[in-house]
Amino acid sequence: MTRLSPALAIVDAGGATTSVGLVGRIGSRWRLLGSLAGPAGTPEAALLAIVAARVRAADPDLAAELSLDSGRLDSVPRLMARSRPPATLVVLAASRRAVGDLSAVAVRTGWRVQGASTESHDPREMSELALGQGVRAVLIGAGDPPGPDERPALDDLAALGGAVARRRPELQILLSGAIRGRRAWRESLGADPPGDPARIVEVPAAVRRRGDGDGLRQSLERLFAEPGDGRVAMRAATESLADLLDRRVELVEVGLDGGTRVLAEPGVAGAPPTSIGIVTAEGALVPPDPDDETVDRVLAWTTGSLDRHRMGDRLRELRGQPWVDAAGDGARLRLAAASAALARMAGLTPALNAMAVPDVTVVAGGAFAVAPASATALAVADTIRRTGVTQLTWDHARLLGPIGTIEDPAERRALLADLLHDGLVPLGTIVVTGNLGVRRGAGRHDRPAGRLTLAGDGREIQRDLIAGDLAFVDLPPGRQAEARFAFAERVRFGRRTRQVSVPVSGGIVGLMLDLRDVPLRLPERRDRRRTLLADWSALAWPGDAR
Amino acid sequence: MNVEGPQPGYELIRPRRVVAGPLEARFRLRPGERPLVGPGEAVVRGAPLAERIRDPRTAVVASAGGASAKPGSWWTAAPGRRSRGDGAEQGELLFRSGGRWRIAAGDPAQPLEAPFGGIVRDVQPGTGLTLRTPARGLLGLDVLAGPSTGHLHVLAGRDGHVRASQIDVGAAGAILVVGSHVDAEAITRARAVGVRGIVVAGLGVKERREVVASEQRSQAGAHGLPPFAILVLEGAIGRPIASPFMAVLEVLEGRMVAIIDEPACLAIEDPDLELPRPAPLLVRVTAGPLAGFEGSWAGLAGRHRFAGNVLLEAGLVRFGGRAPVAVPLGDLERFV
Repeated sequence: MTRLSPALAIVDAGGATTSVGLVGRIGSRWRLLGSLAGPAGTPEAALLAIVAARVRAADPDLAAELSLDSGRLDSVPRLMARSRPPATLVVLAASRRAVGDLSAVAVRTGWRVQGASTESHDPREMSELALGQGVRAVLIGAGDPPGPDERPALDDLAALGGAVARRRPELQILLSGAIRGRRAWRESLGADPPGDPARIVEVPAAVRRRGDGDGLRQSLERLFAEPGDGRVAMRAATESLADLLDRRVELVEVGLDGGTRVLAEPGVAGAPPTSIGIVTAEGALVPPDPDDETVDRVLAWTTGSLDRHRMGDRLRELRGQPWVDAAGDGARLRLAAASAALARMAGLTPALNAMAVPDVTVVAGGAFAVAPASATALAVADTIRRTGVTQLTWDHARLLGPIGTIEDPAERRALLADLLHDGLVPLGTIVVTGNLGVRRGAGRHDRPAGRLTLAGDGREIQRDLIAGDLAFVDLPPGRQAEARFAFAERVRFGRRTRQVSVPVSGGIVGLMLDLRDVPLRLPERRDRRRTLLADWSALAWPGDAR
Repeated sequence: MNVEGPQPGYELIRPRRVVAGPLEARFRLRPGERPLVGPGEAVVRGAPLAERIRDPRTAVVASAGGASAKPGSWWTAAPGRRSRGDGAEQGELLFRSGGRWRIAAGDPAQPLEAPFGGIVRDVQPGTGLTLRTPARGLLGLDVLAGPSTGHLHVLAGRDGHVRASQIDVGAAGAILVVGSHVDAEAITRARAVGVRGIVVAGLGVKERREVVASEQRSQAGAHGLPPFAILVLEGAIGRPIASPFMAVLEVLEGRMVAIIDEPACLAIEDPDLELPRPAPLLVRVTAGPLAGFEGSWAGLAGRHRFAGNVLLEAGLVRFGGRAPVAVPLGDLERFV
């Protein structure tokens, strides 16, 4: 498809907005000509028509060469990804502990999880939950062998699961552990259960002492996967990107219905690239019915004075119409919600947090679509905190998801190689150091903890490094420099060191120097916390003092 | 009239449907609530669709109809035999374990009545039932409680705010249109005087919680209050009701309507009633400093910088006779 046509529309249909990027073959490579996003449901043809009209106005010859006449846009091939809304998975088990173990694994997948156990719910309540209209799958789990806290209620659980499977023949039923072997399950399900027999599948048990439930997680991911799903496809695109750049690449994405955090590494000795990470409904910008916990988590990242109820109102509005109110206070609210979502994802991926900082961090997703670049960089630095240096880029035209849907790795890599510079906007470089000492103003004077020398293009800038400081140093896109750090004491910078020299590259944000605690420690008192966040926020939202 | 052709960019604005129909209304059933109708059955307004229960619980019964009993079917104790243990005389079979059935039971409450006539399309005990009807619905964002029926009465204008003192017993049995927002006290009073429903543009989280708590108390009481529902048209923040919606509501003044939650709408049973259509090229601002204002579309404005140093695609909107103003495209809605 991409070899034959001179133009290609790259469509990412997300939960909140639809983005259309128009790429054209210029010479021997694909170039991004423009992109436009509209609220979800906006016809992609309308978006494409506007982008094509802008190309025609800017360069009529190029538009003619690429056959971008308004009457011929229907024939432009589409490369499309669609973010699938999370489906509800009900987790039923015979003890609170078992439900907790299973749910802890399930929340690290695209499923939206609700749990109930025979300890906490009566059979009628459990049946009501499982028979609910929006439920797509029920995971009925027990330990293998079952624990002493599960055994008394295991037959009731198996019988309840069998009855649910019989009453809702369209439901996917997942059996974990010792359920299928129970006589109560067989008797309740009956000899000839309705529906497709393949809908009842066995999945591995989740037992804490046997690792982190990777087998169960992979099974749940497989069941959730759908061809063309943008969020899942991003993983493949990130792997291709790592392979292409020969760098470790981390992708963090926050959308309306879920988020993605993936770390990809290039293949070694001819092996394909690899990745670890999650696609999770917990990474959603705002969950469908924001509760007090969600509200508090967002409030924790805000500098305004909204109370809980009003913040709840704002989050409900944001969930209902995520494309609305993207300027002014709305932009800040969106970033606060995105920070809360990133923090939730960081909490679900301790293994990634423990790994070395990636060479490149790609920010993607509708949550960051209209935020100022420096605010986006700050949100990432606030939540995904590891010491070291990473180059930050932004998938501004939302190309990665659709490109990830290309099944052939070579073709995917080739298209990505062409569009790399147009599709990924360099935001700059984030430098995070740890163990630098007490935060400024918290007891110690602003005595420099070290010194930075930034050398590049024949110029040299020197700057004192003060513990707890956050600063943006101007380094324009396309510029490379060498940053030499000399600290008074040994600090954490990927490893423990006093002196380090790293290459950094410029971007819209420049060089972001983050000398705050790792992990970030914020005051418990709300007023102090707000003051501190407001100080940092003033740097990230230039010209918008509030 | 086709307004989209000659107006570039108009179709980039999010369309908001005002009226939809015919409706396929879904009513949720909890385990233990007994459907009284079957698929294909025709029902009239007010016909009982299902028995509701209060104080739902699980009961254990020793035998329940022998081998023919299956999960989801209804069980009634044999006449003349006194029940033992949990004392349940009837209920919905959940599952059989250890030779005994668990059933979902509860005390009878007010039945679920059909808010309009239609044909029952689907019944799933413990989950819900679907009613297909030729009625149309004025679409809202969501519904609390319900379903409920009553005569529509417009109590306040599109940007009004109704207080408790404005609601008196004369509104009993009515569904009130209360404008942009309503406080918790007014809702409590409406419930107390027998109002059947409220149509409001915005309902905050605080009021929402109080309504839900009040509804739960009402359901738990032995003498339940009549059905009540709130249709929220816009969201959580109060703003004027959009004029195309208000125009329909004004036409419906005094007519029998119903509030249902799936889809969230005000159901209009009269299929012959002529409803006003939105004006061509009408757009409405949904957020920002101009929130609630309505004007006419004047074309795309390209990328503009807005508050917070944010660059957004914008459209030009003419408010009255003034010069067009650039508004973020995402903050606009059009009506279909």
